[in-house]
Amino acid sequence: MNQNQMTARVGLFFIIGLALIWVTFEALHNGRFSTKEGYTVTAAFSSLKELKAGNDVRMAGVQIGTVERTRLVDGRAEAVLRIRSDVQIAADATATIAMAGLLGSNYVSLDLGHPANGTVSPGGSLRTKDVADLNQIIGDLGNLGQEIKSTLGQISGSMSSDTGGGLFQKLDRLVTENSAKISTTVANLEAVTNQIRSGEGTLGKLIYDQAAYDQLLATVNEIKGAATEARTFINETQSLIAQVKSGQGTLGTLFYDEATADNLRVTVRNLREVSDKLNDANSTFGQLITNDNLIKDVQGTLRKVDRAMDGLGDQGPITAVGAAASALF
Amino acid sequence: MNKLNQLLDAFGSALLLTGRAFASLPSAPRILKRVIEQAFLGGYSSLGIVTILSFFIGAVLALQAGLTLKDFGAKQLIGTLVGESLVRELGPVMVAILLAGRVGSAITAELASMKVYQEVDALVTMNIPPERFLVLPRLLAVLLYMPMLTMIGVIIGWFGGAVVCKFVEIIAVEPAQYFQSLTQFLTTEKVLDGLIKAEIFGFVIILIACNTGLRTTGGPREIGHAVTRSVVFSLISILVLDYFITKALA
Repeated sequence: MNQNQMTARVGLFFIIGLALIWVTFEALHNGRFSTKEGYTVTAAFSSLKELKAGNDVRMAGVQIGTVERTRLVDGRAEAVLRIRSDVQIAADATATIAMAGLLGSNYVSLDLGHPANGTVSPGGSLRTKDVADLNQIIGDLGNLGQEIKSTLGQISGSMSSDTGGGLFQKLDRLVTENSAKISTTVANLEAVTNQIRSGEGTLGKLIYDQAAYDQLLATVNEIKGAATEARTFINETQSLIAQVKSGQGTLGTLFYDEATADNLRVTVRNLREVSDKLNDANSTFGQLITNDNLIKDVQGTLRKVDRAMDGLGDQGPITAVGAAASALF
Repeated sequence: MNKLNQLLDAFGSALLLTGRAFASLPSAPRILKRVIEQAFLGGYSSLGIVTILSFFIGAVLALQAGLTLKDFGAKQLIGTLVGESLVRELGPVMVAILLAGRVGSAITAELASMKVYQEVDALVTMNIPPERFLVLPRLLAVLLYMPMLTMIGVIIGWFGGAVVCKFVEIIAVEPAQYFQSLTQFLTTEKVLDGLIKAEIFGFVIILIACNTGLRTTGGPREIGHAVTRSVVFSLISILVLDYFITKALA
């Protein structure tokens, strides 16, 4: 092999080697040999989590750039994003740090926003939102687990206390001490259920006796009929009350007619006057009622009449009338 | 104690050799032809064996990773595992071991023969420093071709993994998914780490080979011993250095 051939082969070897190195660096996104195409925007977060240079920037899931570098600016973690020049980011688009998978790296996720409301200019900053990361969620889950554990511990403690006050121990003691009674109760229950099954007793008949069922059905039907009648009666009563309310009929007139009420009022007043007079000892009726002398006089007069009648026993009717008249007047 | 003295002696002479070689760096344009020759012998000629070795290392790695990861439902991470393992560790180390066995041994044998047959003495007599004439071209060449060789090996290894993913039924991961997971976690820093590692390995192997060859004394029997020493010491150095470089780069 002459010198020229050797040189050519070595040259080829170096070209291939360099090309492969270049391709590899290019393929790994943040290749140092890559040309700086597109424009940069910044996104500040309280924490960049696992985000690092070379991670994707995706808008609605479509890769539109990469994270160029990360830095701390004014107490905030800032990611410089290199966005493809053909992609415009809406001014109201929000950037979040999302996880590519449970074991995966993070990426910056952008929503579409409304490009009509303006776009982010090169060098501008994006609106960002911090979201809970897996560590935080796992931490919260851990706390939850602790709480559940302590709660279960308390329940367990109340159920099986060492001092003998546990729920299970109490239940155990209760069952042990009352086993005979419980056995009897269970035996009774068994007997009762057997009786019911064989159609004995009220319950048994209720469940298994066809006649009892028919009677029950008839009773129910009667109750239904009675309910229907009651409903009719109530309806009629309601119509009656409606009539009364509307002032129809005697009761209606009595309750709602003003003239009748006035008449009644006058009548009652008259009645009261009459009763007052009756109670008055000086009035005729009052005397009639309250004066004992009058009754005595009447009794005396009646006795005289009685005697006169006895004397008239043998005389004619005309004489009797004459005698009675003379006795009276 | 004697062994320790020998070791320290070898280490010191290697440092001196490096210093002398790079002291004559200004004359590098004059030795360009020799650099190209060494790049051909070390880089281009090793391409075939590096290709075969890397392809099967990548394939075996993907197969083993696939068989294990499928039990955990994490087959989609084969690409990540193969990619990172090859570029950071297996690629540089395997290429370095190949280099030690194939190029390092040849250099030691050549220089030891020259030393034993007093060719080196002749060079010195002609006022041609052997460090400039024999060592510097080899060191410069290895610094140039080692990253290329490693990168070619790594990428062929990645393709070996992809072939296994595609054609082994129990793994059955699409190459697109394999490369997607491969690039997802891989960063240029990791690739650079691998290339830096390979560069250091290559330099150390050639330095050990040259140093061992030039320090050979005695008769032809010593040539064989020198080659053995060179290869063994190179392999040990690779693995020991690997640990410290990985730690330093982590």
